[in-house]
Amino acid sequence: MIERAPYAQLLGVREWTDAQGNAGLFMPASPVLEGRQGFLYGGVIGSLLELACLAALAGESEVAGERPRPINITIDFLRGGLMVESYAQARIVRLGKRVVNVDATCWQSDRESPIATGRMHILRA
Amino acid sequence: MEPEDPFERLKSMPPRGHHALLGIYHIAAGADWAELACPFSAGFLMDAGSGLVSSGPVISLIDAAAGAAIIARTRRWEPMATLDLRVDYLRAARPECTLHARATCHRVTRRVAFTRCEVHDGDPANPVAFAAASFFFTSEP
Repeated sequence: MIERAPYAQLLGVREWTDAQGNAGLFMPASPVLEGRQGFLYGGVIGSLLELACLAALAGESEVAGERPRPINITIDFLRGGLMVESYAQARIVRLGKRVVNVDATCWQSDRESPIATGRMHILRA
Repeated sequence: MEPEDPFERLKSMPPRGHHALLGIYHIAAGADWAELACPFSAGFLMDAGSGLVSSGPVISLIDAAAGAAIIARTRRWEPMATLDLRVDYLRAARPECTLHARATCHRVTRRVAFTRCEVHDGDPANPVAFAAASFFFTSEP
């Protein structure tokens, strides 16, 4: 679903699922995602986290057909992102009737060394 | 010859990477602030049918404006990394509208710079987002 969004296509973001049923997003490296030379642009990392949060919410069957709206996001940048493939996975912390609290992690070659984390509030509408 | 002012250097750099993809450009600046903009693109939409604009370009424009505001204030060319970024989305941006982000660097220490940013899509009195971001100067002491 998310990968059909024009903005996800602009970034080259795709969805993944693994054998354990985990799902998330990945984003291949591209020169148009670069910030400082040799590093992924911080805004792109934040956007990937945000898309992962929205994708996790869209994956909830009971919210199918809703048009969720972002309320706010907080992003912590932990390491410089290199120009390699990036992954993001989000977890719904609380699925309220009106507001959803989601957190997300972004990593590259080593899942145990995330490059950024984020938390987001989303309005269900 | 006078050494080149770092902020003038920043403004004169040809856009590359993600700034070039989004079409980010400089609007105006002062002693501790910078205003950058990026024109709407159909690629910013979350849903081509509904015209809902993604907040992703807002995040990237804030990051760019905040970094520029720091250079406007410090007039130094130092490598820095974004530490954290918090964005409140006051309303959705309207399609077809140019996004403007005006960031102010309100405090700089030896290692850290603190910024605030307002984003609008045509009318500064009707903002799209407020943000706060802090940056870390990465060069060795």
